[in-house]
Amino acid sequence: MTKEERLKKRHSAEKRFRFYGLASIFVALLFVLILVQNIFSKGSSAFKKTVIKTEVFYNQELLELKNGASEKDIINADFYEVMIESLIKSFPAKNIDEENELIRLFSADAEYEIKKAFLNNNNLIGEKIILDLTASDDIDQLHKGNYPRDLPEDRRRISNFQLAIYDNFVENDKISKNFNNYYFTKGDSRDPELAGIGGAIVGSIYSILICLLLAFPVAVLASIYLEEFAPKNRITDFIEININNLAAVPSIVYGLLALQILLATIQLPRSTPLVAGITLALMTLPRIIIPCRASLKAVPPSIREGALAVGASKFQSVFHHVVPLAMPGTLSGTIIGLAQALGETAPLILIGMVAFVVDIPSSPIDPSSSLPVQVYLWSESAERGFVEKTSATIMILLTFLMIMNFLAVYLRQKFEKRWN
Amino acid sequence: MNKVKIKSKNLNVHYGQKQALFDVNLDLNEKEVTALIGPSGCGKSTFIRCINRMNDVIDICKVTGNIEIDGVEVNDENLDVVSLRERVGMVFQKPNPFPKSIYENISYGPKIHGKGDTKSELDEIVENSLKKSALWEEVKDRLDEPGTSLSGGQQQRLCIARAISVNPEVILMDEPCSALDPIATAKIEELIDDLKKTYTIVIVTHSMAQAVRVSQKTGFFHLGKLIEVGKTEKIFKNPDNKMTQDYITGRFG
Repeated sequence: MTKEERLKKRHSAEKRFRFYGLASIFVALLFVLILVQNIFSKGSSAFKKTVIKTEVFYNQELLELKNGASEKDIINADFYEVMIESLIKSFPAKNIDEENELIRLFSADAEYEIKKAFLNNNNLIGEKIILDLTASDDIDQLHKGNYPRDLPEDRRRISNFQLAIYDNFVENDKISKNFNNYYFTKGDSRDPELAGIGGAIVGSIYSILICLLLAFPVAVLASIYLEEFAPKNRITDFIEININNLAAVPSIVYGLLALQILLATIQLPRSTPLVAGITLALMTLPRIIIPCRASLKAVPPSIREGALAVGASKFQSVFHHVVPLAMPGTLSGTIIGLAQALGETAPLILIGMVAFVVDIPSSPIDPSSSLPVQVYLWSESAERGFVEKTSATIMILLTFLMIMNFLAVYLRQKFEKRWN
Repeated sequence: MNKVKIKSKNLNVHYGQKQALFDVNLDLNEKEVTALIGPSGCGKSTFIRCINRMNDVIDICKVTGNIEIDGVEVNDENLDVVSLRERVGMVFQKPNPFPKSIYENISYGPKIHGKGDTKSELDEIVENSLKKSALWEEVKDRLDEPGTSLSGGQQQRLCIARAISVNPEVILMDEPCSALDPIATAKIEELIDDLKKTYTIVIVTHSMAQAVRVSQKTGFFHLGKLIEVGKTEKIFKNPDNKMTQDYITGRFG
């Protein structure tokens, strides 16, 4: 081979390698794009809910309330008759079947919405106001264009009569899409139009906070001890290998451990963020120790020697100089560990967080759901309303993860100090 | 002739199986500069690290024999290394300021030793230390800036100021100029000349010329043994030992 040929071969090898690199990046980006597009197109409609403008008449006879009734009386009062009367006025139903079909166009919470408007404004007895009542899931999906209306009637959830009412509402501009506040404030529900991630978000926040409070101090102190103070011998080598192995243990194993120890032996309350937090802390511990030890190792020995040489004790040289320098790396490692914990599903299913919880937890020892488990639960439901909610919840979860990862990068760049 | 400040007797150092120093007997005089010369790996740095017990940091290092400062045994299990290092400061081969402000670099030592309880006392210590290390004029307006933002020579003078700040009796310098350019080196040498009025200085150097310029006494190490020690003038002009002669004339090294 001549010199020119060899040179040419070298150049083409480099070109080939660059091409492979670019191609793989392109493929990766394509998949990300498809994923995002898919989730977004399915999920974005969940942030809106369909509402029907309805004139509500607070008929005193039907309410059996006096003027200036106490809040307790109002809460106990029956608004069902008022609702039916108002609905029939909005669209005449000829018989009881039609009446029921009409009512099923509205969510199960319509009566409560009417009551709430009344509670907010006590002088409504005998008055008429126009309210935006939440539509049922079927109408919601129909209005969002997710429901095929050209099927024969016996294969549809929506009857011809209901379709006629819907068309009438559309014609009269009574139906519209509003911001879906229920999605963010409510807990889980059997009715898709009333289901929200409020409970799951609170549950996730409690779990992650407990995880942070338990895992961070233990992991940092363990790293400092192992890296700076522990003698280097077989025992510490063995511990190091085990920590690395623990970080690779499948998360479901931690779930089994928690099930046996926390639930069966210690008898902590099932399906609670407390147990979830402890389980996630066990799982996150090695994932914080590893980056923390790496950051401690990256602090040059000359800094330690400099401190020792002016008469600092070992403890002072470590805590005044080495640990602060290792903090940015440790913090970003911690945040990434927590982000992993936030997205963890398997161990939470094992400790019973997969339960159907309607209430928003008010403390870490209340039964609760969490974001990834909520995704799992809804993805198994058949209703179309849950399909969009599944995708929307994935979007929320990914947003949280992205914020945490950006925070990790930001913290590292902002506080990282350079030494030469 | 000044009185003897540091006295080593039959000092042996082992790194694991390997012996680094063999029966070193060396006296260092007070308020004088002693230069230690010799080829790489001959044990000069190991020797000065014995004086402030920096070898303790290395797990496999074992020091036997005696080394005394003012007649007090350094190599004593019960000796408090913190107060030893308060008396014996050290400057390293590569400048290693803390990645903190210039002010904090200097005030750290006095703070941990409980010197300078008030802000004004600390300010005074910082100013004096920087003046003694001939850095004050260059940095007095930017004490809040990180020490690592200074040039290499300035950083090394900052490290000298840091060593001075706790008011030691001895300053050990481990090739303090090997990472610096000739101008910065000249400044440090001038500084060393000035500092010897107050402190006992031991300097390890690879530069024969530097040893001649700054030291009054020179020790020549080879393969862990102290080959020859004496007045600098004598060592460089008329050494007793053939090996010393060969080394200083550049015949091996």
